[in-house]
Amino acid sequence: MSVRKIIEEALREGRSKLHEHEAMAVLREYGFPVPEVALARSRDEAVEAAVRIGFPVVLKIVSPSIVHKSDVGGVVLGLETEEQVAEAYDRILANVEKHAPGAEVVGVLVQRMVPKGLEVIVGATRDPIFDAVVMFGLGGIFVEVLRDVSFRVTPVSKEEAFEMLGEIKASRLLDGYRGMPPRDKDALADIIVKVSRLMDEVKEIKELDMNPIMSYEKGAAVADARIIVDGRS
Amino acid sequence: MEAQSTSSIEVFFKPRSIAVVGASPTPGRLGYVVVQRLLNRYKKGKVYPVNPKYGEVLGLKCYRSVEEIPGPVDLAVVLVPAPLVPGVVESCVRKGVRGIIIISGGFAETGPEGAKLEEKIRETIRGTGTRVIGPNCIGVLDLHGGMDTFFLPEEKMMRPPPGDIAIISQSGALLSAMLDWAAHMGIGVSKAVSYGNKIDVDEVDMLEYLANDPETRVIVIYVEGLRPGRGKAFIEAVRRIVREKPVIVLKGGRTERGAVAAASHTAALAGSYEVFRAALRQAGAIEAVDVVDVFDLAKALTMQPPARGDRVAVITNAGGPGVMATDALESLGLRVPLLSEELQARLRERFPPFYSVKNPVDVTGGGSNEDYRHAIEVVARSDEVDALLVVALIHPPGFSAELADIIAEATKGTGKPVVAMSFGGGETSVLRGKLEKSGIPVYETVERAARALWALYRYGKVLGVAR
Repeated sequence: MSVRKIIEEALREGRSKLHEHEAMAVLREYGFPVPEVALARSRDEAVEAAVRIGFPVVLKIVSPSIVHKSDVGGVVLGLETEEQVAEAYDRILANVEKHAPGAEVVGVLVQRMVPKGLEVIVGATRDPIFDAVVMFGLGGIFVEVLRDVSFRVTPVSKEEAFEMLGEIKASRLLDGYRGMPPRDKDALADIIVKVSRLMDEVKEIKELDMNPIMSYEKGAAVADARIIVDGRS
Repeated sequence: MEAQSTSSIEVFFKPRSIAVVGASPTPGRLGYVVVQRLLNRYKKGKVYPVNPKYGEVLGLKCYRSVEEIPGPVDLAVVLVPAPLVPGVVESCVRKGVRGIIIISGGFAETGPEGAKLEEKIRETIRGTGTRVIGPNCIGVLDLHGGMDTFFLPEEKMMRPPPGDIAIISQSGALLSAMLDWAAHMGIGVSKAVSYGNKIDVDEVDMLEYLANDPETRVIVIYVEGLRPGRGKAFIEAVRRIVREKPVIVLKGGRTERGAVAAASHTAALAGSYEVFRAALRQAGAIEAVDVVDVFDLAKALTMQPPARGDRVAVITNAGGPGVMATDALESLGLRVPLLSEELQARLRERFPPFYSVKNPVDVTGGGSNEDYRHAIEVVARSDEVDALLVVALIHPPGFSAELADIIAEATKGTGKPVVAMSFGGGETSVLRGKLEKSGIPVYETVERAARALWALYRYGKVLGVAR
């Protein structure tokens, strides 16, 4: 489904937050390194999707009313077999039933599990004065506690994207530190430039978070994405 | 588009005729001070007092309205109470006035009623080509041409000497204080503009105009907030202008945070100041931290060339300030590299063994003026550094105010920026005066001198001449 269609459908249904499979589809169309995903509405569909996508997979609850998926037991990682997927599917629905009774459940997202890497965040928002703004930071405490992030107003050039990578205080971690390998900065800069383009081309997107993105020696992978849309653009 | 907006701003500085609406014959009143200042300072245009209550102001015939004035009126300076202003603006537009400076307050800053008045004015000027500065501002000051709508008498706010720093400010009060202080410090200013509520002319218009102003070499801007949606135009304007001249920005309202109803990390972290800073960096503006810093940086940028790299040599005759200078430079992201063996050997040729030649180069309190000459000549002409910070404490017997000439001579023709730190009274003030006269900016602390070099390096980066 095209970006336009996905957003129109969400707005028609009165949703401001895209479902994760929708967000991933938007990103895929813009060439972001996103893992393969599928929405399953039954246990059999989940198993079938996992086989098609390839193991290991992650299962995540898809529900507009659940903001923190893992807090309600809505995420299971590292599933290696069909049996594990089937069991995890049931477990997630049971957990949600227990911890978020009455929550509207769209289905369960089956996602190819991306290997662990250095976790980074790339996001975007709209500022009342400067309009679209892109943010880069390292994941976890670096963003949440230390607020160690850098910003640029769109359009962001590749060169500026590299500046953003170098501007955060913890940027040395990207160059490799204490036995950890250097990260593929070009892949990260590429993601930043693509976010800038997406925000400038799709005015309905109000906020976007890719958190985390796994950064590797070669390449990167978006492990989780959130997109907020607004029809008044 | 650009050419048109430039010419439409020109009328504020070079009007051939000015109507002062709300003129008064009573000394001390705003309407008196403005007429008086224009008469005394501005020689290139006729001044027409306007006020239906009076027949004469300062010996000039006072008109009942702008439209009653015989002959064309280029500019109107409006001082009447806010509710009367929309009517005056209508009258000005009918008369064909090209620029209106609304000094009066009582508009959007006071609430919705005032905002309605602004909307009315905006409506009146739409499509007419008449430009408006203000309301709620103190207008324009041109130290070269003499235009002066500042209603502050000279004994309260001294006017700086004509110079090459232009200042535009959202706050009139801050601008007055800055100008008074600049005058006190003998720092020259080209033009100053307070644009208040900016219902029409805003910082982007002013930046575009000053970019083409031959009397302005550095533009300083104090801004609290831009108009919604105007951000990208601001970045574009600054980006264009910094290729011609540096833009120094002082931002008010740094701790204010954007809307908090945010569903994402990014939105929660993107406070308005964080975003503004990023925008300044992208645009190539240089951010000042306070009003003193503004003039420190402006001084450096008008007097010295941009740095072509981040390597700084510190030349000193005192250990402590040398160490502190190194700290300050490094913490700003500049480097104080160890000089090569070869360069150290060349310094040693004329220095006793107890001088330090590593960088900082320390000729010690036992040294002399001539030691500085040797140190600077060797270091500045090497390809190991891009800029010099000279600590000149002339209190020991081997040094004197003549050191200023030596520093100027020794650095001449190297193309590398040099700034000095000197602190004290007596002969030190002579040295400081001489240094600045030769175009070398002097600061009272090494930290301020380091900031000045940081700005010269930043500007070198912006121009693409620095590595």
